[in-house]
Amino acid sequence: MLTPKRVKWRKVHRGRMTGKASRGNSLTFGEYGLQALEPCWMTNRQIEAARIAMTRHIKRGGKVWIKVFPDKSVTKKPAEVRMGSGKGNPEFWVAVVRPGRVLFELSGVEPLVARDALRLAASKLSIATKIISREEVQAG
Amino acid sequence: MPKRDLTLAIEPRPKTGTSTANHLRQSGKIPATLYGHGSDPQSIAIDARAFEDAMHHGGRSSLITLTLGGKAADTALLRDVQRDPVSRKVIHADLQRVSATETVHTELPIVTVGVARGVKEFGGVLDFVTHEVEIEGPANRIPDRLEIDVSSLGIHEHINASQVPLPEGFRMLTPPDTTIVSVEPSRTERELEEAAAGPAEQAEPEVIGATPTPAAEPE
Repeated sequence: MLTPKRVKWRKVHRGRMTGKASRGNSLTFGEYGLQALEPCWMTNRQIEAARIAMTRHIKRGGKVWIKVFPDKSVTKKPAEVRMGSGKGNPEFWVAVVRPGRVLFELSGVEPLVARDALRLAASKLSIATKIISREEVQAG
Repeated sequence: MPKRDLTLAIEPRPKTGTSTANHLRQSGKIPATLYGHGSDPQSIAIDARAFEDAMHHGGRSSLITLTLGGKAADTALLRDVQRDPVSRKVIHADLQRVSATETVHTELPIVTVGVARGVKEFGGVLDFVTHEVEIEGPANRIPDRLEIDVSSLGIHEHINASQVPLPEGFRMLTPPDTTIVSVEPSRTERELEEAAAGPAEQAEPEVIGATPTPAAEPE
């Protein structure tokens, strides 16, 4: 699963997820992509599940790009612990996703296979997404 | 879509700023900027539907005649279009004043034609490395896109920018040794297994600048 190798701080503030993605909102490498339509904290487990679903479906051909990285730690306090005594321990890692963010890209496969693979990947995520293609983007 | 003579009606936009631009968008218009030929940049507004229509008929690379109050004011090229990342609606456009015979440089998308031999016969993967190239040529003859025939490409073969066929009078500005497409062999069984398994899980990331905790002394 994706986790940072080195971090400056183990625990970070929660932050905000308002607005739309101002970066990473277009196709850069592939012919097809999966674009987020809602904001979320995407966990490294979700990203991994989506990646496995895609790579299994496209088999030998094609290339996959993961365009989000879970670089934010989420902390949790253990069960049945009284409030106070500081922040909990880092439990998992998330990527902050805003609407418009392109999550995955695919190329080198037939359009039908690519769309199916991205549909399978989308079913592993907790947010609404849409499949975009370079052809549609270029046509406007 | 076939190209046709494109005309767009523009109107001056005296007020600028976010809220004015948002009001303009709500009334079915697009805020735009017209610049070039040494004169000051001009803030203009364009009807959104007419603009989308022009885009669908080759307006991305064709010369557009701009009319102001029913009279032809300028000819221009569409230089940049900003879209909302989710709804894909146009939120702003940049137009550059250009005369028909002027030489301009522009970026054009590349489209492949045919199926590569390495893909068809050896099960390779066509890797699109560069999607757009920069070219220079007469403003009134800019094509919508550039086509490259990949049917002769075998495994480990590629097409460079210098091999992209250009229309007469055009010059490639992208460095000639830039790879456009290449055919790579497909993944082996072992690579597939590795890809399916994913990277090994790391327990805890190293904290930069943290002092290492001393090992516990045995009592």
